[in-house]
Amino acid sequence: MFKHIGHTHPVHDATQKVMGEVIYASDMKLHNMLYAKLLLSPIAHGRILSIDSSRAEKLPGVVKVFSHLNSPDKLYSRYRIIPDQVNCREDERIFTDKVRFVGDRVAAVVARSFDVAVKAISLIHVQYEKLPALVTVEQALENKSVKIHASGNLLYEYDLKYGEKEPLSEDHITIETTTQTQKMHHAAMENHAYMANFDSSGKLTIWSSCQGVYGVRTILADLLNLTYNNVRVIKAPIGGSFGGKQEAIFEPLVAFMSKDLRRPVKLALNREEAIVATMTRPATKSTITTAVSKYGKIKSCDVATLFDAGGYATSSIDNGYAMAKKISRLYSIPYYSHKCKIVYTNTPVAGGARGWGGPEIVAPFEIHMDAVAKALEIDPVELRVRNLVHPGDVDKATNFSLGNARIIECLQRGAEAFQWTKRYSRGCVNSSRYKKGVGVACAAHKNGMYGGFPEHSTMTIKMNEDGSFILNGCLHEVGCGTITSIGLIAAEVLDVPLDMITVSEADTENSPYDFGSYGSRVTYICGECARQTAERVKDRILECASTIMQTPREYLSAEDGCVFRIDREQERLTYREVATIAKTVNNRDIVVTHTYHGRSNPGAYGAHFAEVEVDSGTGMVKVTDYLAVHDVGRAINPGMVEGQIHGSVQMGIGYALYEEIKISGSGKVIDNSFKNYHIVNAPDMPNVRVLLIEAGGDDGPFEAKSIGEAATIPSAPAVINALNSALGTSLSDMPITPDKILAALNCN
Amino acid sequence: MFIKFKVNGDDYEIDVPPAIRLIDILRDHLGLTGTKEGCGEGECGTCTVIMDSKSVNSCLVIASQIRGKEILTVEGLAEDGKLDALQESFIRNGAVQCGYCTPGMLMAAKALLMERSDPTEDEIRGAISGNLCRCTGYSKIVQAIKDVA
Repeated sequence: MFKHIGHTHPVHDATQKVMGEVIYASDMKLHNMLYAKLLLSPIAHGRILSIDSSRAEKLPGVVKVFSHLNSPDKLYSRYRIIPDQVNCREDERIFTDKVRFVGDRVAAVVARSFDVAVKAISLIHVQYEKLPALVTVEQALENKSVKIHASGNLLYEYDLKYGEKEPLSEDHITIETTTQTQKMHHAAMENHAYMANFDSSGKLTIWSSCQGVYGVRTILADLLNLTYNNVRVIKAPIGGSFGGKQEAIFEPLVAFMSKDLRRPVKLALNREEAIVATMTRPATKSTITTAVSKYGKIKSCDVATLFDAGGYATSSIDNGYAMAKKISRLYSIPYYSHKCKIVYTNTPVAGGARGWGGPEIVAPFEIHMDAVAKALEIDPVELRVRNLVHPGDVDKATNFSLGNARIIECLQRGAEAFQWTKRYSRGCVNSSRYKKGVGVACAAHKNGMYGGFPEHSTMTIKMNEDGSFILNGCLHEVGCGTITSIGLIAAEVLDVPLDMITVSEADTENSPYDFGSYGSRVTYICGECARQTAERVKDRILECASTIMQTPREYLSAEDGCVFRIDREQERLTYREVATIAKTVNNRDIVVTHTYHGRSNPGAYGAHFAEVEVDSGTGMVKVTDYLAVHDVGRAINPGMVEGQIHGSVQMGIGYALYEEIKISGSGKVIDNSFKNYHIVNAPDMPNVRVLLIEAGGDDGPFEAKSIGEAATIPSAPAVINALNSALGTSLSDMPITPDKILAALNCN
Repeated sequence: MFIKFKVNGDDYEIDVPPAIRLIDILRDHLGLTGTKEGCGEGECGTCTVIMDSKSVNSCLVIASQIRGKEILTVEGLAEDGKLDALQESFIRNGAVQCGYCTPGMLMAAKALLMERSDPTEDEIRGAISGNLCRCTGYSKIVQAIKDVA
């Protein structure tokens, strides 16, 4: 059906990656460059009384030591993308004078070599006045006299309601569950890295491993009092992000130091710094109460969430809000209320992580659904079928259509492929040490930010004289194959081989505007922009050909890199001929710039089925089988869609069973290294079967929908539901580690 | 300390502090930045190289240990621009996403295949058990290695 769409391609720079040729920010070298090293706070809460850097400054090779004493005290929000953006609490300084978590930015050394910078850090003496550390949300809310920020420890709260409360039948039941989700490290293999260069023309250039160059530019320019045209943010190749590089975490610091010194400065974090001092998936605690009919129809749902923002606000207001907008995309519930308190604590800063509030609320909700199923003795799949949204349903939170929402189909086809009924009814063998169980979970995510944020993208496609093309869009390849997908879309429309189209990456000096790689918007919005722009270029090609061939445009068609007369196919021109003659004879350039406005935000859905085997002697859990079924509209690049699902499940298993950034009572991070922060490795990863449902029906390019976040959301609850089914438990304090399993088994 | 060693078939003789890490020699002194640093403590495998036919975490090897050794890095896999079979298989099988774990994965896989042909899936997963990947979920990497085994 399609020449390019629906065929698997590798990422565009796979060859360079296997050759080790890609230069990530930490690989970069610039002439005359300097190296920065951070001094981060060892205590969770305190005032900086003094910083004595005299010994560090005397060390040969040290150029300067920076701290709050010699840096701007202007407060900013590192989450902001656009000017005047709401919900961006400005509560950070480049270097703080009051530390608010272990890992807060106290100072930095810039030196001629990295080794000298490291040595100099140990020569800086900082005196702190320790303040009480409030390391849990409960402590922060109780201790009103200990203020993490002057505005108080409650950063924000909301109380949202949708729908109408229906009268309840006499035989309805009420179920209440509470689930704690933990701080999680994004664990991209590449730690954050940046190279900034402020040159003598007064221009700042920064290479950043980031998900949105224009957001970084806005923050840096506003903070350092530069005009936007004098700040150039170039997206460096990214070694994974998953949301962890979507905020301007260290760009302000590196940019400021480079501007001050008027030399290139490189900052590359190590793993401990990436775990502690960048951002974490937020820890949350949600109590869910539903009123359910005996038939299993949810009549009302009330949620109360405590959201741990950590030491600074960044994205937590929006991230907390996002939690309230997920369930209504998935289940048709007449009445839904969500109260949330978003609270500062003296712990590593929370930020958006893949799924952006989705995993944080859907894991609790899917665990809750299994509790409802258990109470009513209804099969978990059947219970969900009775409550999930249908195609064309309206999202009560936004009043937008959920589009061609195929979640019920995902669930039913998945249940069949997984042999759910047979495996679920098998039950667990109580006498056996090894207990097997199966679990299911559903999820919804979105496609872009329409409905809550401006949503548009601009691209330019220009045709070269030889019939090749350059597509210039502000694109951020994060490893999922964005550049390839955009290229495939344009190649399909223009009907040329993929290698005849070069797709550029984000650079604020050269790229047209785009908000960045967030909110699962890139395929749906940028992809459709590429398709429409390519269509317009094709029109231009036909227009030019019409002039050259002295033939009405209506008689012409373009196929296979050629334009020909429909009625006399032998009368044709190659793209090369059209482009060259147009440019050199007819003085016409074939170049189109187009802005696409998103006007819809359908759901992207998935149902995951997991089988686990629990060793009741040790509490260790093995995921023995896994099936992921996804409603993707259309798979632009099926192999990469599968790849996204596989990676999502790896993250979800970790979220369910292993991964946690644990904080001690004094605020120290206990798991500050891969020695004790475990992500799933190859031997522990199950084979993940994938079933894609491509039913189209929405506004994405070739009717495609998103996958990367949608696939992350159901994975943890599928595993947790499986293990609770295997053991007959109701564990919900994530991650479900062996000690918690053993404690529950000993209780029973 | 003067040390003589081979990297990717080339002879080197350099003067370095004895405790400097191999990863720093490769990246900073020899300009071979294909080998990556993900954790600095031998847990993530992004720094995997092959030393005298065995895969090692180059962040845990120090200069004094590489005297007279033959080291193979990702830059040494292709010959005259022609990709090694493993590299081609990684591309063909979609085993490359962000690319950061890729050099280390390739070297761990190469070391396995230098030692044995026709490894089982369990042996493949075992050989890359010290190479973490956050993007791919490992399936396509394992398939890529199987294809060449």
